[in-house]
Amino acid sequence: MNMTFELSYEGKKRLVIGGVLAAIAAWIAVDAMAGGAEHWGRVFVRLPLLLTGQGDGWPITGGFALNILLSIASMAVATVLGTLLGISTLAQSPYLRLPAFFIMNFLRNSPWLVLLFAMLFILPFQVEVFGLRIPFPPFVKAVIGLALPTAANLSEVVRGAVQSIHSGQWEAARALGYTTPQIYRHVILPQALRRMIPGWMNLYALLTIATALATVTGIQDVLTILNTSLAMESERVLVYFYLTTLFLFFAYCYPIAIFARRLERAVKGDNI
Amino acid sequence: MFGLDYSWLADPAYQNWLVTGVINTLELAALSSSVAILIGMLGALGLSLRVFWLDALIEFFVEVFRNTPPLLQMLFAYFTLSTLGLKTTDPVTGLEVPLLSAFACACISLSLFGGALAIEAFRSGLETMPKAITEAGRSLGYSRWARFWRIEVPIASRVCLPSLTNILTNLFKTTSQASVITVPELMYYAGQIYNDTFRTLEVMILILIIYVVLVSILSYGMSRLEAYLTLPGYGKGQ
Repeated sequence: MNMTFELSYEGKKRLVIGGVLAAIAAWIAVDAMAGGAEHWGRVFVRLPLLLTGQGDGWPITGGFALNILLSIASMAVATVLGTLLGISTLAQSPYLRLPAFFIMNFLRNSPWLVLLFAMLFILPFQVEVFGLRIPFPPFVKAVIGLALPTAANLSEVVRGAVQSIHSGQWEAARALGYTTPQIYRHVILPQALRRMIPGWMNLYALLTIATALATVTGIQDVLTILNTSLAMESERVLVYFYLTTLFLFFAYCYPIAIFARRLERAVKGDNI
Repeated sequence: MFGLDYSWLADPAYQNWLVTGVINTLELAALSSSVAILIGMLGALGLSLRVFWLDALIEFFVEVFRNTPPLLQMLFAYFTLSTLGLKTTDPVTGLEVPLLSAFACACISLSLFGGALAIEAFRSGLETMPKAITEAGRSLGYSRWARFWRIEVPIASRVCLPSLTNILTNLFKTTSQASVITVPELMYYAGQIYNDTFRTLEVMILILIIYVVLVSILSYGMSRLEAYLTLPGYGKGQ
């Protein structure tokens, strides 16, 4: 080849992906000139509604912002539950280990949508604890329904990370007189945390994608709003609205996935 | 038991719905899994050729399908493919009808979603292949295709069986979302039954258990397959 500069393989790949994106942009531009601009206009008018649940964009009551809020709340619950479940599956006592295994496998093998639906009916409208009334609105049910399968998947990640810690760490801590909870708290978990982060982030991206299912609980998430606003639009505009919503999820999840993969590569080689 | 009322299960009509639902779910899962595995193999082969434009296109496909909700993909396929021109004229009524049924739309979008996941799995399987093995194949005069089919696939497929199990169970679970676009599978009939009987809690618990049992059978079968196919030195045989 007599080129003055040589692109690397990755560089060429990036060029092609850039080309694909340019082709998509060109297609959108051509379509816009052929009448699509009007449709995009409709999408643009409804964009604040899709993002925040309000036509004016404020206050935030739903839309994609609610999906993100839901994903963060579910992940927080799932992190606590998943860590406890993961450690329980490693317990010495079979009375703790076997039920933990059963729960983990049950939750891992149940479809997210079905579990969410089941939670919708299993969880009461409100619970009374010591005279304190805790209401369970659909949002809370969605948080729990999505957190359960995530926790089960996270427990696998926790399990793997804890098992990857060298047994010498355990023996050294035992020799120093630490109790099991103390060993987890001060020795094992701080080290396992580093190895858990890529898996945790992957799971978060997966959970965010799954928040689309929360529309079945009736909360005003982006899909519910999409469906209600589509009822007022013509059939042709459908395509533009769906593409926009797909892009919203992609724009949020793709950077997380990329970052997780980078971390994974960084963590891969280290041996403690 | 626990105040749950399962008397409706005695009704043959509901039994029929449940059986039909399970059969349709199995059909949808089997069809989309096979296509997904095929897409995964072709995609991984494409990636292993190290042709930069093919590599870029496959990566683009994988990232798009991995990072968007399968539910939305299915809705997109169901509601917009006919708007985009995939429709025919019904010879009887003369009306325009979508070319693809809900089942076909679900099958296509699930296959693509599963395929994107499978490409990743097969790729990482091929990547763990020790270079010495392919080099040995090359020095024995194997062509690129023969090397791929006779050496790389048999080893890589064993290495990536655990992640393939994950993908297939994931895909099986995702078929429940096809109920949203009115594919008459198990989850869809669950809705039909509780709309009829108002026994929402009982129906959902039963459906959840049926799904868990089906998925458990699938993952048990896959683990048996894994054990059966073990090669000493690779995957579980290590």
